[in-house]
Amino acid sequence: MKQLTLIFLILFFSSITAQNISVSDSLSINNLDEVVVTGQYNPQSIKKSVYEVSVISKADIDRQAGNNLADVLNQTLNISIIPNASTGKSQVRMFGLDGQYVKILVDNIPLVNDEGFGNNTDLTQINLDDIEQIEIVEGAMGVQYGTDAVAGVINIITKKSSQNTWEITPYLQEETIGDEYSWFDEGRHIQSISVSHKMSDKWYANAMITRNDFAGLWGEREGRNYAINDGKRGYEWLPKIQYNGKALLSYQGNNTRWFYKFEYFNEKVSRYDSVVRMNSNPSTGTNNPVSSDEVFTSNRFMHHLNGNGNFNGGIRYDVSFSFQQQKRNAENYNYRIPSREKFDIENFEYESRKVYYSKGMLSDFLNNQTFDFQLGYEVNASDGYASAVAGDFGGENINRYLGAYDIFASAEYIPNNRFSLRPGARVFFSNKFNAQTALEISSKYTFNNNFELRAVVGTAPRMPNFTELYSYFVDANHDVRGNENLQPEQGSSVFVHLKKPFALGSEFLLKSKLTLGYLNVEDRIELTIVNNSPLAFQYNNIDRYRTWNVSLANGFFYRNINGNLGISYSAVSKVLDSRDYNDDYLNAVQLNANLSYSIPNWGTTFSTYYKYNGPEYQFVQEQDENGEDVLVRGRQAPYSWWDASVRKLLLKNKMELTLGVRNLLNVTRVNTTAMEGGAHSGPPSSVLLGYGRSYFIKLLYNLNFN
Amino acid sequence: MALLLFSCSSDDDAGEAQPFVAAFENPSVSFTAEDTDKEITLVYSKTATEAGTATISYTSVNAEYGTHFITSPSGENGILEVPLTAGSNSATFNFTKLQNPVEGTEMSVTFKLDAVSNTNSSLQGNTTLAVSFTESAALGGVLSPEVGGPNQPNQVYVDLSSQTQTTVKRDTWDLGFYSGEDFRVVLNGSLYMAAKELESTDIDAISEADVTAFQSAVAVGTFSAESADYIDDPSGNIRETAIAEISETASENKVYLVNLGSAIGTETPEKGGIDITDDSRGWKKIRVLRQGNDYVLQYADLNATTHNEVVIDKNEDYNFTFFSFNTNEETTVEPEKTKWDLNFTVFTNIIQGYGAYGYADFVATNLKAGAKAYQVNAADFSYENFSAEDIIEANLIEDQRGIGSDWRNGGGPNTLPSLKEDVFFVLKDSDGNYYKIRFTALLSESGERGYPKFEYKLL
Repeated sequence: MKQLTLIFLILFFSSITAQNISVSDSLSINNLDEVVVTGQYNPQSIKKSVYEVSVISKADIDRQAGNNLADVLNQTLNISIIPNASTGKSQVRMFGLDGQYVKILVDNIPLVNDEGFGNNTDLTQINLDDIEQIEIVEGAMGVQYGTDAVAGVINIITKKSSQNTWEITPYLQEETIGDEYSWFDEGRHIQSISVSHKMSDKWYANAMITRNDFAGLWGEREGRNYAINDGKRGYEWLPKIQYNGKALLSYQGNNTRWFYKFEYFNEKVSRYDSVVRMNSNPSTGTNNPVSSDEVFTSNRFMHHLNGNGNFNGGIRYDVSFSFQQQKRNAENYNYRIPSREKFDIENFEYESRKVYYSKGMLSDFLNNQTFDFQLGYEVNASDGYASAVAGDFGGENINRYLGAYDIFASAEYIPNNRFSLRPGARVFFSNKFNAQTALEISSKYTFNNNFELRAVVGTAPRMPNFTELYSYFVDANHDVRGNENLQPEQGSSVFVHLKKPFALGSEFLLKSKLTLGYLNVEDRIELTIVNNSPLAFQYNNIDRYRTWNVSLANGFFYRNINGNLGISYSAVSKVLDSRDYNDDYLNAVQLNANLSYSIPNWGTTFSTYYKYNGPEYQFVQEQDENGEDVLVRGRQAPYSWWDASVRKLLLKNKMELTLGVRNLLNVTRVNTTAMEGGAHSGPPSSVLLGYGRSYFIKLLYNLNFN
Repeated sequence: MALLLFSCSSDDDAGEAQPFVAAFENPSVSFTAEDTDKEITLVYSKTATEAGTATISYTSVNAEYGTHFITSPSGENGILEVPLTAGSNSATFNFTKLQNPVEGTEMSVTFKLDAVSNTNSSLQGNTTLAVSFTESAALGGVLSPEVGGPNQPNQVYVDLSSQTQTTVKRDTWDLGFYSGEDFRVVLNGSLYMAAKELESTDIDAISEADVTAFQSAVAVGTFSAESADYIDDPSGNIRETAIAEISETASENKVYLVNLGSAIGTETPEKGGIDITDDSRGWKKIRVLRQGNDYVLQYADLNATTHNEVVIDKNEDYNFTFFSFNTNEETTVEPEKTKWDLNFTVFTNIIQGYGAYGYADFVATNLKAGAKAYQVNAADFSYENFSAEDIIEANLIEDQRGIGSDWRNGGGPNTLPSLKEDVFFVLKDSDGNYYKIRFTALLSESGERGYPKFEYKLL
C-alpha cells in the first residue's frame, strides 16, 4: 500500500508541475456519430441501425482503466458481473439470466472458452487492450448470432487501422486489491506493449502483449504456507496470472477488405485449499500438515480470417473462418506445508473446447436502396471435453462432438428514409438436437420531430450444457442424472426503443431513450424430481422464465461536460413446474449515472461512474416452525458501484496518466436471504460481489511517428 | 523494454526446519499369561534421512533382566541401542517375557528414551513405555483401524484396553441372531439392507409378483420417511429391529421381504471421495421361527417354491450369531462381546423426515455389551487436560451412535468431508474403563478416504 501511495504522490506532483498544452479527448464528438457493426449488413451509423446498439467507447474504457471485460461491464444497466472467488471466474448476468444466455463475440464471431463457445465466458479472460469499442444489443438475436444469444449480445470490435505509420504504446498499470498492495505478492500488476504499423494505405498490422498479474485477495486468509487448520489457509480471491498476445494483419483494397487475427492467451489460477489436514502424530507429539491444492492452466488459441467487400462493386460478401481452442489443464497435488514439498502430483486435462468455425453472408443482391436481402450460413464443428472431476459425471470423462450447421436469411425493406423493416429467419441443424428455428422482425421509424422508434422481436435457442446432459451421480443415497434427450431452451424477446435527441440552445444536447423489453425463456432446463420413492432427479425441459423491463437512459453533453443518467425497472417471474413455486413477478431497480468533465488546457478529464443495484428478490423454500416447506420471498440487499478517475495527458500528449479508485463504497459481500441451502448445508447468508475499494494508476506512453 | 520486467514471486522459500522425533508408538504394553514376546515400535515424525541410534534405558519393578525378561537388541548392561535406518519410518525392538509373576505381585519394566543421535532431533511425545507382565488396560495409544480405503470394505472391531482390532469384510454376513434374552434378528446395515413384513406365513407361497409393488420403497436412501420402518433402529436398541420379535407362536412369525442391499464399491473415486456401493445384491424372502432357545431360519429366492431351513444357536459369549446367504452357513463376525468397544463401519442411519440414509466413516459403540460414549467440545475442555473428574456420567448416551459420524464434518456440494478437530469423545467400555478418544485423521496423507486414525487415553 505504501509503495502505491508513493507512486501516486510522485506522479501527481510531476503531473501538475509539468507544463504542457493539450487537447481534450475527441470522445464527445465521436459519440454523436458512432458507427456500429453488430447485426448490420454493412458497418453503419448507429442512427441508421435497425437494432438498438449501445456502445461502450474506447474512451470510456480508458477512463476506467479497464484491462478486461469484467472491469467495465459493471456500470452498464441490466448487466451485472458475478465473480466467483473460488474459481477465479467472472460471469455476466443480463436481465437476470446467467452467462449461458449471453453471447460474447469478438469481431462478430463467438470466442471459445473452456466451457463453451461464445457463452459461459469468463469475462476476466477477455483482454481489452486492442479494442475499438464494445457493442451491446439487448434481447434475443438468434437469426444474426445463433444459439445462446438469448438475453443479448456483447460484441467486441477490435482496432484494425491507425492514423500513424508507427504507433508504439507501452503501458504499466498498478492496482491495489482492496487495501492490499506490494511489489510482488499483493495487488494487481499489468504490463503491456503494443505496436502498430501502417505499411501502406492498404496494409496494416499490429501486435501486442499484456501480462496481468492478479496476486489474489488475502483478506483474512494467510496464503499458501499457513499450516493451521482454522480455515485461513489460501486466499479469499484466487491469485492468477494472465498473458495475452495478439496480432493482426489487415488489407484494404478498393472493394475488398481482409484481416487475419491471431490470439494466444495463457492463464494460471492457483487454488490453495483452506482445509489443512494436520495429521497429528500423538506418539511423537508432532504434526504433518498437508493440504490438497490445484493449479489450473488455461491456454487459448484463436485464428480468425475475415474478408468482406463487394464483388465487382455488386453483391456484398462478408465471410469468416476461424479455428479456436481453449484447454484448461489441472495440476493436483498434495503439499507438505512446513517442508514446502509437493507430492502425489497429477497432471490432466480438465476441460477443453476446440472449434472449427465459419460464417458467411451475402447481401446487396439487388443494388436497390429500398429492398435488399441477406443470405448467410454459420457452421461449426466443436469437440468438447470435460474430465470426470469437472462435474458429477459418474467418474466418466465426457467427450462430445457437436456439429452445428445453420442457414439464415433476412430481408431489409427501406421504402423511405423514415421507415425500415427487417424480417429474418434461421434454421439450426445439428448432429445432436432436433432442427431449431429462430425468427426475428425488426423495424425502425423516424418521426418528424426526430423521435426514433425501434421495435425488435427475436428468438434464440439455448443449447443444454454438459451438466444438464451428462450428469451422473447415483449411489445408495442419491440419484441425480443428466438427460441426453434434452432439447434446447426457447428464448424470445420483444424490445421497443423510443429515442430522441433534444438540443437546448447551441451548447446543451440531451439524448433520451426509453426502452420497454420483454424476455421469455420456455422449456427451461431444471433439475426435477422424476421419482419420489426412491427420490430421483433428472434434468428436464419444463420451466419458464419471464422478465419485463422498462428503462430510461439519458446522455447529455454540455461544453466540456458529458454524462449519462439511466434507470431501469424490471420484473421477473419464474415458473418452476418441477415443484410448488410462486410465479409472481418480483421487481428490481437499477440506476446508473456517470459524469465526465474535461479541462482542455490541462489535458485533464475527471470522470466518475455510479451504479445502484436495488434489492433483488427470489422465492426460496424454507421450513417453517412446524417443519412444513413454505415459500418465502428472499431479499438480496442493495449495493452500489462507484468509481472515479482523473486522466491527464502529459509531454505533448505523448504520455497518459490515469489515477483512479474503483469501488469507492467498498462493497465486498452483500447480505441475502434469496438463496436456498443444499441438502447438506444451510443457505449462504451473503453473496460475494467485490473485493473492496481499490486504487489504480496507469501510465501509458504513445510513441507515434509517421 | 524495461516495462516488461516479468516479476517472480517470492513464496517458494526453502520451508521451515522440522525437528526429527522418534518416540514409542504407544505408552504402554501388557502381557497376558500366555504371551511371551512383544515387538515394541518406535515411530518417527518423518522419514529418517540418515541412519542413527536410539538410546533407551529402563527401570523395573520386581523384574530382572535375564531372569524375568530379555530384549533384542540386548539391554543387559541397562541400555538398549536401537538402530534407526535411513529411509524408514519406524524401528522396533523385541521384549521377551521369561516368567509370569507370582499372582498378586506387580511386575513391570519402564523404558525411557534417553537420546536419538539423528541431526536436529528432539525428545518429545511418548518418551517412556510401561510394560506390564500382567494383563491390564492400556494406558492409551494410537490406532489406525483398517477400514480399507475409499471403498470402505471392512468392518473393524476395536478393543481399546487390549489395543487390538479385528477386521471383517462387510459382505461376509447378512443376518445377525441376537444371543441375549430377546429373540431378535438384525440386518447388515453396512450393506444398506432393508426388510418388510409381509402378510403371509407361508414362505413358499410368496413370489416376486407379490412384492413388486413395494420393492422400490424397501431400500435405504429413498428420501421418504417410510423407509425408516424397514431398517433396524440406528440407536442399536435391539427391541426396535426391522424384523419383529420372533414369537414362540409360529403363526405369528410372518414372511419378510429382504433387500440384500448393495455390493461393496470397487471403483477408485476422486480423492477424498468414496465409492462404497456397487450393484444391488438382490432380494430374499425369509421367515424366522423359534425352536427352544434356538432360531430356525427359513430362506429362499423370491420366486422359489421351496426353501432352505437352518437352525441357529445362541452363543452367550457373543452379541450375535451371524449367518451368510452366500455361504449358507453361520459365520464369525464380531469378537466376543466383552472384547470390543468400537465398530468402524459403513452404517445405515436415519435422517429425520427423510428416512434411511447411508453413512460412510461411521463409528458405532458396543452398546449391547454396555459400551457408551459422548462428545466433548474442545471449547469446553481441552483433550490434554480432560481427566476422570471431568466425566459426566449422565452424558453417556444409550445409543450406539455416541461417536457416530460426529467426528467429521459432513461435506456437501463441492466440499468433501473433513476431520473435526474441535471435538473429542469419552467412552466407557464394558469393563467400566473410561477413555478419552480423539480422532487425528479421516484421510491418508495423500488425501484418500477410509484411513481413519485416533488416539486415546485411559482416564
